[in-house]
Amino acid sequence: MTDMASPDSNVRKDGFAKRHGRGLTGLLLVAAPVILLGWLIIYPIFNAVARTLFVNSDAGASFSLDTYQRFFTDSYSLANLWLTLWVTVVCAALLMAICLPLALYLRFAKSRIAAVVQGLALFPMFVPSVILAYALIRTIGPNGGVDLVLNAIGLPKINSPYLTPWGPVIGLVWDNIPLTTLMLVAGLGGVSDNAVEAARDAGARHVALLRHIILPQIGNAMLVVLSFTVLSIFSAFTLPYVLGPASPEMMGPFMQRTFSQVQDTRMAVTQAVITFVICAGFGAFYVRSIAKNREARQ
Amino acid sequence: MAQLTLKNIGKSFDGTDVIRDTSLDVKDGELVCLLGPSGSGKSTILRMVGGFETPDRGSILIDGQDVTRIPPEKRPTGMVFQSHALWSHMSVAENIAFGLKLRRMPRRDIQAKVAEALELVGLADYGKRRVWQLSGGQQQRVAIARALVLEPKILLLDEPFASLDQHLREHLREELRDIQRRLGITTLFVTHGQDEALALADRIVVLQGGEIEQVASPDHMYRAPETRFVAGFIGSMNFLACDMRGGRSDHPLFQISAPVNDGPVELAIRPEAITVAPDANASSRVHRTTDYGTHILVDIELEDGTRLKAMCPPSTRLATGEPVGLKASHVAVFRGTEKLADVTPSDTREIEHV
Repeated sequence: MTDMASPDSNVRKDGFAKRHGRGLTGLLLVAAPVILLGWLIIYPIFNAVARTLFVNSDAGASFSLDTYQRFFTDSYSLANLWLTLWVTVVCAALLMAICLPLALYLRFAKSRIAAVVQGLALFPMFVPSVILAYALIRTIGPNGGVDLVLNAIGLPKINSPYLTPWGPVIGLVWDNIPLTTLMLVAGLGGVSDNAVEAARDAGARHVALLRHIILPQIGNAMLVVLSFTVLSIFSAFTLPYVLGPASPEMMGPFMQRTFSQVQDTRMAVTQAVITFVICAGFGAFYVRSIAKNREARQ
Repeated sequence: MAQLTLKNIGKSFDGTDVIRDTSLDVKDGELVCLLGPSGSGKSTILRMVGGFETPDRGSILIDGQDVTRIPPEKRPTGMVFQSHALWSHMSVAENIAFGLKLRRMPRRDIQAKVAEALELVGLADYGKRRVWQLSGGQQQRVAIARALVLEPKILLLDEPFASLDQHLREHLREELRDIQRRLGITTLFVTHGQDEALALADRIVVLQGGEIEQVASPDHMYRAPETRFVAGFIGSMNFLACDMRGGRSDHPLFQISAPVNDGPVELAIRPEAITVAPDANASSRVHRTTDYGTHILVDIELEDGTRLKAMCPPSTRLATGEPVGLKASHVAVFRGTEKLADVTPSDTREIEHV
C-alpha cells in the first residue's frame, strides 16, 4: 500500500512544483512589460490627476479644483477644446469617406492595379509628419505649388488652408490614411466572397450590398478605426503645431505652450488630464461596443 | 420550371483555358450533376450560369433568353454555396427574407413566404435564431430555403454538402431530392462525390480539363462509361494491360473475344463483376480482405504482381495468401481514352483454367 501510495504522491508533488514553476516563469516573462506599463503609463496618470487635484502649500496639501474651474470658465481654453473636437470629428468623417471606398476596392478588386493602389495608399506611412507638414506648406501654402500653377494659367490664388483649422485636417487625414485603410481592409477580410455573392444572387445591387451586408459585418473594424483615429488625432502635435492656426489652437500645441512658454505646469497637466479623460471616454465606448457584440454572439 | 442551355461556352483565366467549348441542355425540372475532379471546371460552369463569371465565348440561355451578360442580381437563378454563406448579423428569418425585402414585397407576404420556406426545409421554429446557433446541416437548410424562397427558374448548388459529415450528407441529399421533385425546379448540382451524383442526378455530366467527357444517366454512366477517364472516375475499376491478337486478348487470366484490331488495350473490369473462388492450382493469391459489412473487398495479387480488387458477398471466407480463381462477368476494352468494346462473356468460364 505504502509503495503504491508514495510514487503517486511524488507525482502529485512534481505536478504541483511543475505547475508553480511554470507560473513563476510566466510571471517573470510578463514582469518587465508590466513594470514598464506601471512606471511609464499608470503611475504618471495617477500622479498627473493627483497634481491637478491637490495643491501644496505651507499648510500642507489641500484638495482643489481651481485649475479645472479655470479651464472650463476660460473661453480661450474651451475654444481650443472645441477646435480639437471639431478637427477630430471632421478628420474621422473624412478618413471614413476616403478610406472605406479605398478599402472596399482593395478588398474586392481582382485587377493588378489594386496592388499599385495599395502601395500608393500605404506611402504616407513612410513620410515623417514634419516632412509631410513642410511638403503641404510648399504645395497648398501661400505662393505654394498650387498657387504657382493657378497663376501660370491665369487663375486667382486659392484661399490657403495653411494656418487655418483645415491645415491640420488635411495633414492629419493624409497622415492617417494608411493605418485606417489597413484596418478597414483587415475588417473587410472577414466578409467572405461567398457572403457577397449570395447577396448579389438574392438581388442586392452595390448600395444594398454595402448597407445590408458589408457595413453590418465590419462594425467592429469601423469601431476600431474610429477609436484609433480619435485617439491619435486628439493627441496629435506636430501637424497641428506646424499647419494649424495660432488661435484657437489644438490641445497638443496648447499644452506645450502652457508648459514651456506660460510655464504654468499645473495648468498644462490639467489640460493633459482633460484630454486623457475624453480619449478614455472614447476608449471605454470602444471596449463596451466590442464587449456587447461578443456578448450578443454568445 | 425552366430550361437551361449552354452553347459552346469557353472561359480562360490568365491565358489558361478552364472551360473549352462546352455545350449542355438541361430540361425542365431536371437535376443534372456536374461531376469531376478538382480543376475540371465544374464550379466555373456553375458560376457562369449564376452570373458570377462571364464566359469569354459562347452563350447561356434560360428558357431561350440569352442571360450571358446579365449580372447575378438580375438573373432568375438561386445559388447555394458550399460554405453556406449565411449572413451572421441576421437571424434565420432575416436571411431568408433578405431577397424578398429587396423586391419590396409587402411585409405580410414576406412573413408567409419565409414561414413556407422554413417549413419546406424542416426548420419551422427556427426563424428567430441567429445563424451561429445552428448546426452545419441546419445552416445548409437555411441556405437552401434562402435560394428557394425567391422562386428561381434554375437552382444552382455548389458542393452544398461537402463540409458535412457522411450521415448528414446522405440525409440532406435525400431531402434535397424530395424538395427538388416536389417543386419541379431545374437544378444544376456541382459535386466531386460520385456517390452523391449517382444518388441524386437525373443525368450526370463528367468533366475533365474543362471538357465534357460524358453525359448520361447514373446507371448508364456507371455501367457503360464511354471513356477511360469516366470508367476510372466513376466507381472503382480494375485496368489490366494486354494485347489484342486476332480478336482475342492475350491476358493470362481474362482471355476475351472482341471485334477489336490488333494492338495494346486495357481491360476494364468492375470489382463486382469479378467472382472469386478458392483454387489450389491458381497463380493469383489473396493479398488482403477488407470487410465493409455489406460486402468484402478482396485485394488479389496476380502472377505478374498486378493487383486487382474484387467485391465478394459478406459470407466469403478467404485467407491472406490463399490461391484463388477469378471469373469476370463483364469486361470493357479501352485503347487510349477510347472504348472499343463491351464484352459480356455468355459463358462465364473459370478463366484461370482456360
